Amino acid sequence: MSSPGNNNISAQELHLEDFSTKSTPAAAARPYGDALYHAARKNENILVLSADLTAATETDVIRDNLPEQFIMCGIAEANMVGVSAGLARCGFIPFIHSFSVFLTRRSFDQIAMQIAYPNLNVKLVGFMPGIDSLLGVSHQATDDIALMRSLPNMTIIEPGDSSQYSSAVAAAIDFDGPVYLRLNRNSPHVPGERDIQPVDRGRFHCLRPGTDAAVFASGLCVEQALRAAESLAGEGYNVAVINSVSFKPVDTEMIEKMAQQTGCIITAENHSIIGGLGSAVSEVLAEAGLAVNFRRIGVRDCFAEGGSRDYLFDKYGLSAQHIAQAVREMKAQQ
Amino acid sequence: MSVQRRNMPAFNQLSEHARTVRKQVITMVARHGQGYVQQGLGAADLFTYLYFHELRLSPDSLQHPDRDRFILSTAHNTAVFYATLARRGFLEADELEHYCADGSALEINASERLGGLVECTCGSLGQGLSVACGLALGFKKAGNPARVFVMLGDGELEEGQLWEAALFAASQKLDNIILIIDLNYMQVEGDARQVASVDPVDEKFSAFGWHVLKTDGHDFEQMFSVFSSVSDQSGRPCAVIAKTVPGKGVAFLEGQRSHNMVLPCDAADRACHLLEAGQ
Repeated sequence: MSSPGNNNISAQELHLEDFSTKSTPAAAARPYGDALYHAARKNENILVLSADLTAATETDVIRDNLPEQFIMCGIAEANMVGVSAGLARCGFIPFIHSFSVFLTRRSFDQIAMQIAYPNLNVKLVGFMPGIDSLLGVSHQATDDIALMRSLPNMTIIEPGDSSQYSSAVAAAIDFDGPVYLRLNRNSPHVPGERDIQPVDRGRFHCLRPGTDAAVFASGLCVEQALRAAESLAGEGYNVAVINSVSFKPVDTEMIEKMAQQTGCIITAENHSIIGGLGSAVSEVLAEAGLAVNFRRIGVRDCFAEGGSRDYLFDKYGLSAQHIAQAVREMKAQQ
Repeated sequence: MSVQRRNMPAFNQLSEHARTVRKQVITMVARHGQGYVQQGLGAADLFTYLYFHELRLSPDSLQHPDRDRFILSTAHNTAVFYATLARRGFLEADELEHYCADGSALEINASERLGGLVECTCGSLGQGLSVACGLALGFKKAGNPARVFVMLGDGELEEGQLWEAALFAASQKLDNIILIIDLNYMQVEGDARQVASVDPVDEKFSAFGWHVLKTDGHDFEQMFSVFSSVSDQSGRPCAVIAKTVPGKGVAFLEGQRSHNMVLPCDAADRACHLLEAGQ
């Protein structure tokens, strides 16, 4: 038994929970958890479900402060999806949480049949998407968007950085139907001074105007795209950056406008190049008959490995320098 | 523990309803020459008991928030489901003629296209109990007295998700769930005991913290006694293991384990005659 004044490490300090919280100090910011907590306090129909990853999905704030609105489902994602469907049928608004990979890949059939088909008001919240994980291939969701995008009735929202999380939660609540929220812990604030643009279902945000090329980026790649655009500006290229925050339904208008304006379109995402943002944008371009220079930045149809964010983004070609290099090559071809 | 006192059903009337349901199952399947006839005949008494006596649900209360919910996790067992609904007055009898016809909402796997009679779309096995858990938990949170019934096949017990839900239901003390296991030892590949035995089903559910009851799925008096002993104050979800015989009611079909059985017209005629004659 530890007593005050001795040098024992407290259980609290030892309880690191998971590698996703490794670099997070005890009093870490919880941009998503706090936003959800404030929403749930105002609306008692919001229920928060966790599959044994409560702190890792920032929902400990609800567990600790609104226990009546928190449901622990254990390590059983498929069942959690079914439970959320039953709760939604009772008129509740369930927010269900896990890592993106377990939520979408493991429970795909359950999501399709019990949430998407009946078009229920369930919000699926996946953390640690893409390759951004020390935990390796089992924990890396490089196909979650491809899976969710293929489901009728599903909306996808991936904020460009944590300053948009509160607005993303509000947008998910405002829309009566299934929404997949794709979120990161320790998401960097995108550089530069700008107003936070509210998340609007099916709308992209232009963060930086440009006429030579347009980068449609999502999630962690938004910051990379802005850095690429900054360095390209020094070389005389005027590159637009679009925060593709809500890409199902996709912002057709913005894609067509930027294609006509620049003739050079790049997509950048922390996801496979197959089935994600790159696919969504290319489908719009092809069906609109817009012949532009086009390049996808993303995981190039391979499985990855565990590592730090910088290491993995560099190795798998998702970093600012890869985006910048793609623009240079495309402009050289034009 | 409070056990509800209830009126005893007229057992001979239940038998008559079940006989009509069985004839309808034969007629519906025979129209296509093949289908889920064996499990339909096997579950006819269970469906009859539930829809004519147990469920707090009637054709004029279909939208009532307090109605009991019935989830058909064995969503393919629709010949008997639709035949029972029609006999009970939820569907027009002539709608049954469109069973499995192109464009009809009476699909071979029950879907929400049928409307409020299907509380959730199953068919992908193992999912019904999870949704039931969500409904049951939601009702408890909202103070709604509705009960949630789930009809499950024994083959479906091979699905892992079912056991995730069984753990969850017990740990959340969802005593407003009544899971009915149609124990006919039948699945696509044949006798369930030879495919991947789930015996002993009762001990498994007991070990998971459930209140387990057993009944002969063809004996209305026993079903009445067993379902009357289910309490929604027990703190435990309840599993009713109902032993049924595939093809029950038609002597030459009884006991044959065929998942999607061929039923030629002459066999169907003979079966209907036997049912008419009360064997």
